[in-house]
Amino acid sequence: MDSIVTKFNLIYMEKITSIINTILINRGKREMTLISLDTHLRNDIGFDSLDLAELTVRIEAEYDVDIFEEGIVNTVKEILEKINID
Amino acid sequence: MNILITGVSKGLGLSITEKLLKEGYTVFGISRRRTKELENLISLYPEKLNWISYDLADNQNIRDAIFKNWIGLKTPINSFINNAAIAYDDIVTNLNLTSLENMYKANVFSPMIITKFVLRQMLLHHIQGSIIHMSSISVHTGYKGLSMYASTKGALEAFSKNTAREWGERGIRSNCIVAGFMETEMSSSLNQDQKNRIYNRTSLKKATEVSSVTNTVQFLLSNKSNSITGQNIHVDSGTI
Repeated sequence: MDSIVTKFNLIYMEKITSIINTILINRGKREMTLISLDTHLRNDIGFDSLDLAELTVRIEAEYDVDIFEEGIVNTVKEILEKINID
Repeated sequence: MNILITGVSKGLGLSITEKLLKEGYTVFGISRRRTKELENLISLYPEKLNWISYDLADNQNIRDAIFKNWIGLKTPINSFINNAAIAYDDIVTNLNLTSLENMYKANVFSPMIITKFVLRQMLLHHIQGSIIHMSSISVHTGYKGLSMYASTKGALEAFSKNTAREWGERGIRSNCIVAGFMETEMSSSLNQDQKNRIYNRTSLKKATEVSSVTNTVQFLLSNKSNSITGQNIHVDSGTI
């Protein structure tokens, strides 16, 4: 069971990494190759509030979930939790 | 270019919609009612004019009804024209809270919520869009009976200026058009004497021309106004 969950998470991780890199490219920044569950959106990736707004809408377009609707999301793990819950 | 505009069934909103359609824009129009005039426009521009009935006093279903089920996230929105408004006019001592709340929902809260989703759509499609709020000269010059209405428009002016600052670095602009009194249904409750007194307070001594406002709307949503944001543009026959 755990391995299935992990496999699903891996698919999500790839997609979220791709979304994060789209935003970084749009902002003229370098892509990130290594993103883990603990990666912090502000401290590690350097996202500001406007970048996080773009992240929200790109995740919403993909998964129909508004990750910031009920409070702040700080890490990649927290994004996965929001997507899985809904 | 896709333009979202509210209050398209009559008056200024109808005129702006007609102007934009003539200029080749695709319009997503919202109003409560489908008037005969609006019906004519829809039949003239069936491909370019998309319309939905929505009451902006309902600010609970905006995301689903307008953005999710109607426009869709895949459709880029280049501009939002916040035109719809309720005019609840009375002297302050007669203030009715239900009427006031209803006006604030339609004039302030719904436009803010729509702006939220328009900005999101602009971010998703990487669009340097233009947001235009229709304000009123009553924010800047006092009129008896308009204090409550004017306060909703004053809220929009403050909202617009701060939106401009917040999203300027993404190239998104926000401006207000401060319209003077026009010969539309909005001012139809006034008699000629009242209207003349209002017009005599202007430099040009006459009503604001609807076409002057629609031309300013088109200017503000075009790239001709690329360096204009956070402003209140007075189109008011010189009410100074």
